[in-house]
Amino acid sequence: MTCECAGIERKKADCERVEGANNLINVFGFFDRGDDFADCIEYFTISALFSFVFLLCFFAAVHETSEDDPRISNYIQILIREIEATQTHFDQHPPLQTIFFGGGTPSLVPPRLVAKVLETLRSKFGLCLDAEISMEMDPGTFDAKKLKELMGLGVNRVSLGVQAFQEELLKACGRAHGLEEVHEAIEIVGSCGVENWSMDLISSLPNQTQEMWEESLRLTIEAKPTHVSVYDLQIEKDTKFGSLYTPGEFPLPSDTQSAKFYRMASRKLAEANYNHYEVSSYSKNGFECKHNYTYWINKPFYAFGLGSASYINGTRYSRPKKLKDYTTYVQNLEGGLVDIQEDDVDEGEMAMDIVMLSLRTSKGLELKSFREDFGSAVAVELCKVYEPYMKSGHVAFLDYRRREITEDEFSSLVLDDEKLENEIGFIRLSDPDGFLLSNELISLAFGVMDP
Amino acid sequence: MSYFNRASKAIQVANRIYRFSLNHHYNLGLPYFASNEHGFCSNSRNSNRRDDNNVIDLSQYPTDKIRNFSIIAHVDHGKSTLADRLLELTGTIKRGHGQPQYLDKLQVERERGITVKAQTATMFYNYELEDSNTSYLLNLVDTPGHVDFSYEVSRSLAACQGALLVVDAAQGVQAQTVANFYLAFESNLAIIPVINKIDQPTADPDRVKAQLKSMFDLDTSDVLLTSAKTGQGLEHVLPAVIERIPPPPGKSDSNLRMFLLDSYYDEYKGVICHVAVVDGCLRKGDKITSAATSQSYEVLDVGIMHPELRPTGFLLTGQVGYMVSGMRSTKEARVGDTLFHSRTTVEPLPGFKPAKHMVFSGLYPADGSDFEGLNHAIERLTCNDASVSVARESSTALGLGFRCGFLGLLHMDVFHQRLEQEYGTHIISTVPTVPYIFEYSDGSKVEVQNPAAFTANPKIRVVASWEPTVLATIIIPSEYVGAVINLCSERRGEQIEYSFIDTQRAFMKYRLPLREIVVDFYNELKSITSGYASFDYEDSEYVASDVVKLDILLNGQPVDAMATIVHKLKAQRVGRELVEKLKKYIDRQMFEITIQAAIDSKVIARETISAMRKNVLAKCYGGDVTRKKKLLEKQKEGKKRMKRVGSVDIPQEAFHAILKVS
Repeated sequence: MTCECAGIERKKADCERVEGANNLINVFGFFDRGDDFADCIEYFTISALFSFVFLLCFFAAVHETSEDDPRISNYIQILIREIEATQTHFDQHPPLQTIFFGGGTPSLVPPRLVAKVLETLRSKFGLCLDAEISMEMDPGTFDAKKLKELMGLGVNRVSLGVQAFQEELLKACGRAHGLEEVHEAIEIVGSCGVENWSMDLISSLPNQTQEMWEESLRLTIEAKPTHVSVYDLQIEKDTKFGSLYTPGEFPLPSDTQSAKFYRMASRKLAEANYNHYEVSSYSKNGFECKHNYTYWINKPFYAFGLGSASYINGTRYSRPKKLKDYTTYVQNLEGGLVDIQEDDVDEGEMAMDIVMLSLRTSKGLELKSFREDFGSAVAVELCKVYEPYMKSGHVAFLDYRRREITEDEFSSLVLDDEKLENEIGFIRLSDPDGFLLSNELISLAFGVMDP
Repeated sequence: MSYFNRASKAIQVANRIYRFSLNHHYNLGLPYFASNEHGFCSNSRNSNRRDDNNVIDLSQYPTDKIRNFSIIAHVDHGKSTLADRLLELTGTIKRGHGQPQYLDKLQVERERGITVKAQTATMFYNYELEDSNTSYLLNLVDTPGHVDFSYEVSRSLAACQGALLVVDAAQGVQAQTVANFYLAFESNLAIIPVINKIDQPTADPDRVKAQLKSMFDLDTSDVLLTSAKTGQGLEHVLPAVIERIPPPPGKSDSNLRMFLLDSYYDEYKGVICHVAVVDGCLRKGDKITSAATSQSYEVLDVGIMHPELRPTGFLLTGQVGYMVSGMRSTKEARVGDTLFHSRTTVEPLPGFKPAKHMVFSGLYPADGSDFEGLNHAIERLTCNDASVSVARESSTALGLGFRCGFLGLLHMDVFHQRLEQEYGTHIISTVPTVPYIFEYSDGSKVEVQNPAAFTANPKIRVVASWEPTVLATIIIPSEYVGAVINLCSERRGEQIEYSFIDTQRAFMKYRLPLREIVVDFYNELKSITSGYASFDYEDSEYVASDVVKLDILLNGQPVDAMATIVHKLKAQRVGRELVEKLKKYIDRQMFEITIQAAIDSKVIARETISAMRKNVLAKCYGGDVTRKKKLLEKQKEGKKRMKRVGSVDIPQEAFHAILKVS
């Protein structure tokens, strides 16, 4: 990955197709998902992280003087060409329901370019009147005027990349913004009357203490966002970040410590009436991120932009991560040389996707539809493999009315496969114990599904 | 066992240097058989004066023109190189063309510089004495050197009338020199002492001569001084063989009696036996019978090893060669067996013994599902090494596998290595154990070869137990005597003898429980003596010993494959070491894990591994899905490779690690 690909210029548009009763509704998300700071650490390398930060600073400077950096407008140009060249594969084009601008710092993009993108999407796919249109915004990259303009274009959800409330942590993790910008940004979001906004935090940063984390959570709750994302810092091997730090070792918090952070977030946010509806996501009632939720129920979506991934007709496709390759890709797409919409959907892969994604949500895996799609045998095996983990409190079995099945009840159900599959409505991981060990638990399920 | 590995590494290095010097500096400088060296290629028939027409007529060689001898030496004293030189001198192989250590055919032999399988090589040699020039038939019987194979060695030596006792001019007499000398001595062989490597700067032939005199009462004027590396002194070796070693004593007019020295399995020809004709003569087409199994066979092919299979149609009295019969497996070819003509009656040659297994271990496929692969590999390998006993067993932790009995440690180690090298199998081996004997209160006795199978029966008490011991020979520079005595007493050894070979070297004999040397004794010995100790042992009797079964429990569940039998006094320490080791190798899991060592049901050591705190990926959106799934699939595959006892996943490394706990 080169500098160009660093988050700033990365734009993705995701489109999602929701299957209704007998007709297809297309719900599109235009977005550049999630490649904010934490993602950069997660996805790329520290070199990417630093080059990213460099670009960010650069653009931040540009932002103050000129709204027309040619690199941004050129990139948006290519992005629009991609949208236009994309085959929709549907007879009709029902309007989009969600759009997500994410990755890097889309808030740096001048509103008139955002307007162009939205216009292209609207004319190509249509847009619901009440569509959720989210944008990731970093403190220090926007003012009230800009936010108002964006809101005028239809942006109605803001994902604010605060990450931390401590100057030293912001600095240490290479954020361009300082604490002052954080408070300003919160102020702007409030004064502009954004009704639906998310505060993004990172836990387990180098040198982060329990007191700091407690403070971040307290200030978050005081800011009253409708949604909170709490990302536990992920260190990837084979990256510069990975070579600087070893997970669980100083200056990173120990596993025990970061598990504590996770539990604390879960407890404090629950006390403040946030629902922990996914491993890293909390929201007030009715303010779940609709866009992200579509990923987790394994529904198809389009994506546009550098490095973005789409999921259409059971096929996941990731676009090139380098600007040069991406440009070539768009050219080929226009020339009709790209065919990513294949139809060979592997049932086993699909089942694994569904288990993995749904077990990360508080709703859990809906056993009935899973059984109908993939068979009773697998469903029963899944229940059985989790039996010891029900006893240890990591997994919960629920009936169709979402009442938790007791250990005794389960012991009698497990004797009869038919009863087991008929009585159990949902399998879900407990909060926080099950979520904290979700990788372990999901890979156990994989072991059953694909021995 | 790592100690063999260590030894073999040193040997490899030595060989490499040696090969180098062969190519660049070696100059035989001998008049002997330069004219014989033409056209040898290791795969084709080599030519020399006697077989220009590719026919060898063995009838020219009555017993008085035959000498059968072997070379015996401590490891790395130059046995294989000397053999190479003799094969070159006689034109049997062409200098510089055959691979070094010509007779060590197995990869494991070449890597470790040891001989595992007996081989024979027939050489023709023109002996010039007072103007007359006589051709002699010389058979070199290459024997394993290690004590594990002492039975095989004794059988090989039984086919010889003499031996070259090779001693390194700098290192002097070592433990295996002593053991081999006595084997040869007991077989009444003529012994030609050879002090080799005299070109080394540290060579001290006079000191070695004095050792040979004091240890073995060998006449110093009989000693040959050689350097197989530079060729110095080699010209005296074969004349000495002819002059000092008597011809084979067999009777050519008697019924056929022949010794079976060893056998191997050839893909195309089937079982090939190395044989020595003691009396009478063997011809192609003869019907022969085995004294050990009473089975009869037809001789399909017969010939000599010169140096590869060379059909001759017959073998006469005193001659050594190969024989192909209809044997289906090498299990039918018992080392030391007597073969004779089917219609005749003969007295079997003395000394035949069935293989005695001293060390047992369980072998399991590392990938639990690959039992068939391991089964196949073991079947094929035992075709070539019939001395391993194999019985199926199963373990709750490791699944289906085999309990194998070996002649000794080296044998076990070589078997493992051959399984990996020649058949590409990956195995988990359980802690090697020795056969214990337990006596119950009702007077019954059992031999226990697998600790897991030995369960305490509450109704019948164990009243006594015995364990096998060995007589160990240890030779060390005298400054290490104190450390070695400490080590041996810590290993429950009993000193039998303590003397000095000369002013610098001490000689000790200990009776040690076999159990105590099974794992890391030699390693330990090497390390406390800076590598100067030499060590050898022979089986000795069973002695009464207070031993107990030590169980390892994970979350209360016994792990059968980790059970061991140990001396009561050591149980506490071994138990503690085992649980500490396991704690290091077992990863945190979702539950807390308790690791316990217990005797009967009494816990003597305990460790806990606290539960895993977190394993979660924060993000999972569009592009993360594929990546995350891959990660979890990898995690799943990792789990699959683990062995599971109850709810605890045990990595394979844990099984390897506990092998190193004594």
